[in-house]
Amino acid sequence: MDPSEVEFLAEKEIVKIIPNFSLDKIYLIGGDLGPFNPGLPVQVPVWLALNLKQRQKCRILPPPWMDVDKLEEVREMERKEDSFTPPPSPYYMELTKLLLNHASDNIPKADEIRTLVKDIWDTRIAKLRLSADSFISQQEAHAKLDNLTLMEINTTRSFLLDSLNCMFKLRSNMQPGTSAGKALDY
Amino acid sequence: MFCEKSIELIRELQRISDGQLPAFNEDGIRQVLEEMKALYEQNQSDVNEAKGEGRSDLIPSIKLRHCCLLRNQRCVTAYLYDRLLRIRALRWEYGSVLPPNIRFHMCSEELQWFNQYKKSLANFMRSVGGEEGLDITQDMKPPKSLYIEVRCLKDHGEFEIDDGTIILLKKNSQHFLPRWKCEQLIRQGVLEHVMS
Amino acid sequence: MSAALSDEGSDQNDSQEDVMTPVELIAKLEEAWLNEKFSPDLLENKSEVVECVMEQLTHMEANLQRVRKGDMKASLHRMEIDRIRFVLSSYLRSRLQKIEKFFPHVLEKEESRADGDPSYLSPEEYAFAREYLANTETYLKAVALRHMPPNLQTVALVKAVPEPCLDSFVFLRVKERQDNVMVEPETDDQREYVVDLEEGSQHLMRYRTIAPLVSTGAVHLI
Repeated sequence: MDPSEVEFLAEKEIVKIIPNFSLDKIYLIGGDLGPFNPGLPVQVPVWLALNLKQRQKCRILPPPWMDVDKLEEVREMERKEDSFTPPPSPYYMELTKLLLNHASDNIPKADEIRTLVKDIWDTRIAKLRLSADSFISQQEAHAKLDNLTLMEINTTRSFLLDSLNCMFKLRSNMQPGTSAGKALDY
Repeated sequence: MFCEKSIELIRELQRISDGQLPAFNEDGIRQVLEEMKALYEQNQSDVNEAKGEGRSDLIPSIKLRHCCLLRNQRCVTAYLYDRLLRIRALRWEYGSVLPPNIRFHMCSEELQWFNQYKKSLANFMRSVGGEEGLDITQDMKPPKSLYIEVRCLKDHGEFEIDDGTIILLKKNSQHFLPRWKCEQLIRQGVLEHVMS
Repeated sequence: MSAALSDEGSDQNDSQEDVMTPVELIAKLEEAWLNEKFSPDLLENKSEVVECVMEQLTHMEANLQRVRKGDMKASLHRMEIDRIRFVLSSYLRSRLQKIEKFFPHVLEKEESRADGDPSYLSPEEYAFAREYLANTETYLKAVALRHMPPNLQTVALVKAVPEPCLDSFVFLRVKERQDNVMVEPETDDQREYVVDLEEGSQHLMRYRTIAPLVSTGAVHLI
């Protein structure tokens, strides 16, 4: 999956904005939005929030988890635990990128948040590499992957799946009479 | 050695990365077909001799030639099929009109295949989900509701953006436009993305 | 203009018997999109979802025609339309790619399915696959096969073109709890075992094991 498609899914997450315009309730195919009143917080999907922000029609309120104290706690937990701790949001990486790139003036301590999220990401990706490595070397047939986010899965997807398929092919070719190896033939 | 020519066809495609289409190797194909003809004729006469005169000592070489025939057939079809996959990808990359330098590398049957593929795809897209149809060769990337700064490289006339506003795309003018609306114009060389 | 768009709202509110609301419809489309993207095999077609989404889009576009230029509401609707159209196109593209990649197998499966079974291909996809097969056969014959010795003038495409590899690993998220899912051993010295797939949990395992659960919607590929 292209990272831009993971970002596309992240843009469906809901954030709060404070609009500076008024607009009646709007009936989108995928659900109702609004009404919008100047100064009154309202929930919208991220794609809309970013668009309104660029057109200077709103201020975005950072999601509750996008907070230095909370993220420091998450980072400590993530470093302490061997397994994956629950992520701050299923799309924490993409949302951080999107909101900090396009609305950093609305996010207090944006630079610190960027660093913290990067640290959390790095710690988790290191764990992911280790578990992928052991999955392959133990020749496991099943792994439970709770708390991994789609973006994290996506960074390892093609490499891990290709390796597993390749090993499977090598193994099944060694046993005469199986047909599994012919998949990539011809 | 038998089958060397046909292996060379396969190597030729393997050397060239996936997206590229080398010139159709008509000569290579012809040489393989000639080899196949010779192998087949020799086998015909050996089979007759083996049957007629009980020359069972000929059977191993008949078998060997037959294996070579099968291998040649397999390599030629693999060569042709791999090229079709590359040609198919070109439809998605360039649209329904291929640049002349690419057409130049295709044989006439490949052009026919391409034209038929175009037609099948168009029929499919016209009949998807009701009367209107849907052009699935568009919207290749997720839309971005974001705006970008673009500069106009040539006069293009009026252009309607998503909220219905009409702007005039005049050479050297700069605009702040929704990115997904500009992508095609950027590809066509009408607009360029101004990096800040 | 508000009249043009507000009837959209009333559509959404009266939920008729067994008719999906537009919100559910879009969720179905996104689920089908991701499943199709990540499944090594072609899944059952979702023609009814595709048609309903197309209808929604056409209806919305028609309403927007009547809207004043530069209207803010219209621009939000257009952004949403673009997002939905992307998912729909990408979904149909994923399917078409698999149909092209596996065409002899896809056709064989479709043509040998029992009468009551759900069809894998939509009528449009079936027509496309037949044309693709005929086109490719004609081509191979014209360029090479007809010049080959008489006993080598045909190629069994079903044997020559790769099959979907159902043994591929996939990532999945569980929507409805499943007990005792069999995990087959990877090597001879391992034994098979069962796992429970709890609601909301995520897993990495072979597609073959969970393929039926994808088609019932009990798990989603991610």
